Amino acid sequence: MMRTILRRFSRSPSALIGVTLIVAWGLVALLAPLIAPYDPSAIDFAAAADPHPSLAHWLGTDSSGRDVLSRLIWGARTTYIVVPLAVMSAFAAGILLGVPAGYFGGWFDALVSRLSDVILAFPALIIYIILITALGPSLLNIIIAVTLAYAPGVSRIARGITLALREQDYVAAAQARGESSLYIMFAEILPNARGPLIVDLCLRAGYTVILTGTLGFLGLGLPPPTPDWGGMVVESAHLLPIAWHMAVFPCVAIASLVIGCNLLADGLRKEGLK
Amino acid sequence: MIRFLLRRIGQFIITFLAASFLLFAVTEFSPGTVASKILGPYAVSSQVDLLTEKLHLGDPLLLRYLRWLGIVAGVVENPLGDPAIGLGLSDPRGNRYVGNFGYSLMLKEPVVDVVGERIGYTALLTLLAILVIIPVSLAAGVAAGVNPGRPIDRVLSMGAVILTSLPEFVVAVALLLVGVVWLGLLPGTSPMTQGGRWPLSLQLVLPVGVLVIASASYVLRIVRASVADTMRKPYVRTALLKGLKRRDIILHHVLRNAMIPPITVILLQINWLLTGVVVVESIFAYPGVGSLLLQAALFGDIYLVQALTLLALLVAVGTQLIGDLCYLALDPKIKLG
Amino acid sequence: MTRPRDHDYLPILKRDLADGKVSRRSFLRTATLLGLSAASAYAFADKVTGVPSEAQAQDAKPKGGTLRISTTVYDVKSPAIASTTAHPLIYSQVVEYLTKTGADNVTRPHLLKSWEPSTDLKTWTLHLRDDVKWHSGRPFVADDVVWNLTRLLSDEVGSSVLGLMEGYLLNSVDTGKVDDKGKKIIRHELWDPKAIEKVDDKTVRLNLKAPQLAVPEHLFHYPAVMLYPEEKGVFGPGAIGTGAFTLKELNVSRNAVLEAKPGYWGEGPYLDRIEFIDVGGNEQAIVNALISGQVDGAFQILPDFYPLLKDNAALQYYQVTTADTSVVRMNLKHKPFDDAKVRQAFRLAIDPVKANQITFGQFSTPAEHHHVSPIHPDYAKLPEPQRDVEKAKALLAEAGYKDGVDVELVIQQNPPHHLRNATALTEMWKEAGIRAAIKVVPNPQYWDVWMTAPLGMTVWAHRPLGVMNLALAYRSNAAWNESAFANPEFDKLLDEAEAIPDPKARSARMADIEALMQREGPIVQTYWRNLISFYDKKVVGFAMHPTYMVFCNELAIKS
Repeated sequence: MMRTILRRFSRSPSALIGVTLIVAWGLVALLAPLIAPYDPSAIDFAAAADPHPSLAHWLGTDSSGRDVLSRLIWGARTTYIVVPLAVMSAFAAGILLGVPAGYFGGWFDALVSRLSDVILAFPALIIYIILITALGPSLLNIIIAVTLAYAPGVSRIARGITLALREQDYVAAAQARGESSLYIMFAEILPNARGPLIVDLCLRAGYTVILTGTLGFLGLGLPPPTPDWGGMVVESAHLLPIAWHMAVFPCVAIASLVIGCNLLADGLRKEGLK
Repeated sequence: MIRFLLRRIGQFIITFLAASFLLFAVTEFSPGTVASKILGPYAVSSQVDLLTEKLHLGDPLLLRYLRWLGIVAGVVENPLGDPAIGLGLSDPRGNRYVGNFGYSLMLKEPVVDVVGERIGYTALLTLLAILVIIPVSLAAGVAAGVNPGRPIDRVLSMGAVILTSLPEFVVAVALLLVGVVWLGLLPGTSPMTQGGRWPLSLQLVLPVGVLVIASASYVLRIVRASVADTMRKPYVRTALLKGLKRRDIILHHVLRNAMIPPITVILLQINWLLTGVVVVESIFAYPGVGSLLLQAALFGDIYLVQALTLLALLVAVGTQLIGDLCYLALDPKIKLG
Repeated sequence: MTRPRDHDYLPILKRDLADGKVSRRSFLRTATLLGLSAASAYAFADKVTGVPSEAQAQDAKPKGGTLRISTTVYDVKSPAIASTTAHPLIYSQVVEYLTKTGADNVTRPHLLKSWEPSTDLKTWTLHLRDDVKWHSGRPFVADDVVWNLTRLLSDEVGSSVLGLMEGYLLNSVDTGKVDDKGKKIIRHELWDPKAIEKVDDKTVRLNLKAPQLAVPEHLFHYPAVMLYPEEKGVFGPGAIGTGAFTLKELNVSRNAVLEAKPGYWGEGPYLDRIEFIDVGGNEQAIVNALISGQVDGAFQILPDFYPLLKDNAALQYYQVTTADTSVVRMNLKHKPFDDAKVRQAFRLAIDPVKANQITFGQFSTPAEHHHVSPIHPDYAKLPEPQRDVEKAKALLAEAGYKDGVDVELVIQQNPPHHLRNATALTEMWKEAGIRAAIKVVPNPQYWDVWMTAPLGMTVWAHRPLGVMNLALAYRSNAAWNESAFANPEFDKLLDEAEAIPDPKARSARMADIEALMQREGPIVQTYWRNLISFYDKKVVGFAMHPTYMVFCNELAIKS
């Protein structure tokens, strides 16, 4: 199993690069307390006067005198908490709605599809802006907003695949054995639908990194002093002409992680096509 | 065809009503009342209570939603514009007309005027972005698609994956750093005011540039996939085997057939652009409806948020509808069931 | 006509200045307050102290030209409910105040010729200028003043002037009715039918419920402009005023155009035209507009951008030290802030000098937790507050929180230095066992909770006198008492301070008040900010005002 996976990756350089980036940032997130030179919210009052990169602060300090490198490292941890939780929650909701909708059809399908249409009609960012300004920015509310915005898309994919798979022989066989609908949906159909869903998961994970960054940038991210990449950019973007280092490094971090997710999705999709 | 259209328009209206009610309900979560937002922070509670009472803001949600619908439909008079309340709010069209979205609480002007003033700027920005995105992504997509696996394809495809991965604000920071901080060739903001050092054309470069970079690469990938797919089609292979010139085959056979999927994608891309527009307008202080929506949401200006969101919805659903129609018109194989 | 009698205290004040017992600033401030004209006060002070006032006789200012100033262009249909200091920038050029606090923090009569307080500070006689005419040609009379003041003080209008003057001009009346939520409906009415009294066509008398020293300053509160009664309180293009300009065009959040009105009763106008340009809420956009010459000046510039503009040869830097601040106020209705020991611990855990440095650096001065600024004439110097983490911990333990406390600090999204201040405070609190989470909310949402949140950071604009802020924010049941602070001793000291015209005697009382604030008060206050701006060097006559006011009739453009 492990070997097949490795072989597959070695055939697809983009997937390999993607996985490397994701794992590398994952390690940074995991080891944050060990590798971060400073507490991410500790203020260096002496450095506040000259925030530029120095020997003490390799990437400089931010406008409040906090170490940019340490905030970047701890920001990885924030991202690795928010994004998986939000994406998993969206997928759980999407699959729980989409698979039964495709399997049973009828009024349930109609209801789920209509509701999805309503939500999918909104440009995604507008949903977030309205929800987060109304509910207030917090981890839970960001998860709620991501779930609400992504679940319809996931459910549509899950429904489509289920619709195609339910005519398969093994489904008919399971029905003949008298298995329960629940068993057939989640033990027979779902495992066979995993390919496209995993590709979609990688893509959506990438979007969610963009999204949480953008929310942070619009001032709707996690509450301070949580180190948050998007928040780091917004706190310092206006200082770009004076102290570029404050905004540029978190931008690079966000970009590299999203590129990782997209390259992995791209690689997996190509592998799937072969 | 007509039945199809009618059905889609029916769905459209239902989607609209459902969405507007959801919106109305959600904006209710935000703390504070309409009255306190009109009077500002230093009004004492007796002043706020009095206004709340006059505007019937204490009524149940459903009733207020229906009243709002009535005002939009031009059936009910908008109480905010009543001179007796003394807020000085007035609308040259009167307080009862079709399409009356009320007054913006933040700007204290009729919503229709506020949106009307700004929408042209957003339309300009989006239009310019599309005008750049289409030729660039088509040219690059075709160049990559007809050479699958070759270096040009690899470079363009990899570049496209990387560029689609960049959030708009990251692209904006990068362009600001280069164009404004290092080279000093461009203005850092685009308020679209005249009379300064920066002509309007230069003010548009960065906002359009960010939208193009964030969106063109996605269209490029679709075009490339579609072209590469068509290149593998039997009739193209046959033509190649027959010894027809590669160039002619591409121009006459491949492109026409390969363009059908990208057209719908480009139309859907308008929906995607709207998201980018909010971010880009906010970063560059561009006076369009996107930055206005963010400000309105932060203010809790429910009437303005409502109108702008419905506008975005109209564009999104409308382009989908047009996309469907284009698809029908271009692909003779699809029959209306 | 007989000269109005000088206030009893004036001769004493003049003697104290000569003896060096009061400062020049205190003298100017108090003498003008007591009805001496600013010119006479300055002349007297110059003669006695030998320090000449700033360039009294300037070169004749050139006439003509258009001045463009960047600012947020708000709707100003109803100046009475203006809620920011950017609102009056537009309307105050057209409609004017009875008094005017200058950039030097001294308040002078404006539409008034003079004012006269009674010795007990409970009766204020306001004499109107004889030469002021509305743009319609009708003279400005006492009825106009009575109409405007009465209107500003009514519940229906919703003006913040009500909260400011309620303490000495209004009574709260329980209507006996309750609203849907069972809350009592409270209305306000003048405490006495003769509270705002017309004496003759050119004289109005205010008869107060309680002594009040700051009446002239309150008449300059930014919504308190004199509107033309015939227009029923609605302002807009073409509205009639008494000012040097008329409003030609107003496009909310875009621009406003004003044109000079010849025949102005006061100085100027020199300019032909003023344009206020809104370049969007983005601070960077304002800086760009200045650099590219799209505007000639800015409402204000965030100090963050000072390094970008300081070396620009075309621009002149202006700054003013103010009593503009933000306070972290604890609401006493919520635990743990009901305990004075906790409140003091929150202050002891902080080093105001360090917090100030992170918040603003060189553009501010450390504050001392009592909301009286060194620039206030009634300020009393106390020993500087020292950080003492151990004592803070001990106080928390005494109050029953030996494991520390968990609190949530609500702050506004803008201005950005609020977050820096909050970051510095929370870091320092941490060491004393105060675990504060910062909650950033959009600005309008903050104003929904500012009176009720347990812990919040609130902006307080500059006010010319120390007692003004204290009376507005900390007196029991004051309209803007956001901390629910109710301390009889404080109220008593403040009542006394407000009735003392003598700055020496008042500052002795203020020392007690300040000490009380540091000991039991509801705020942690670490900085006083300077306001800064840049104007094109061709603009003459500008001075940065501590409440951002721009008196456009005094401005001119050099060619």
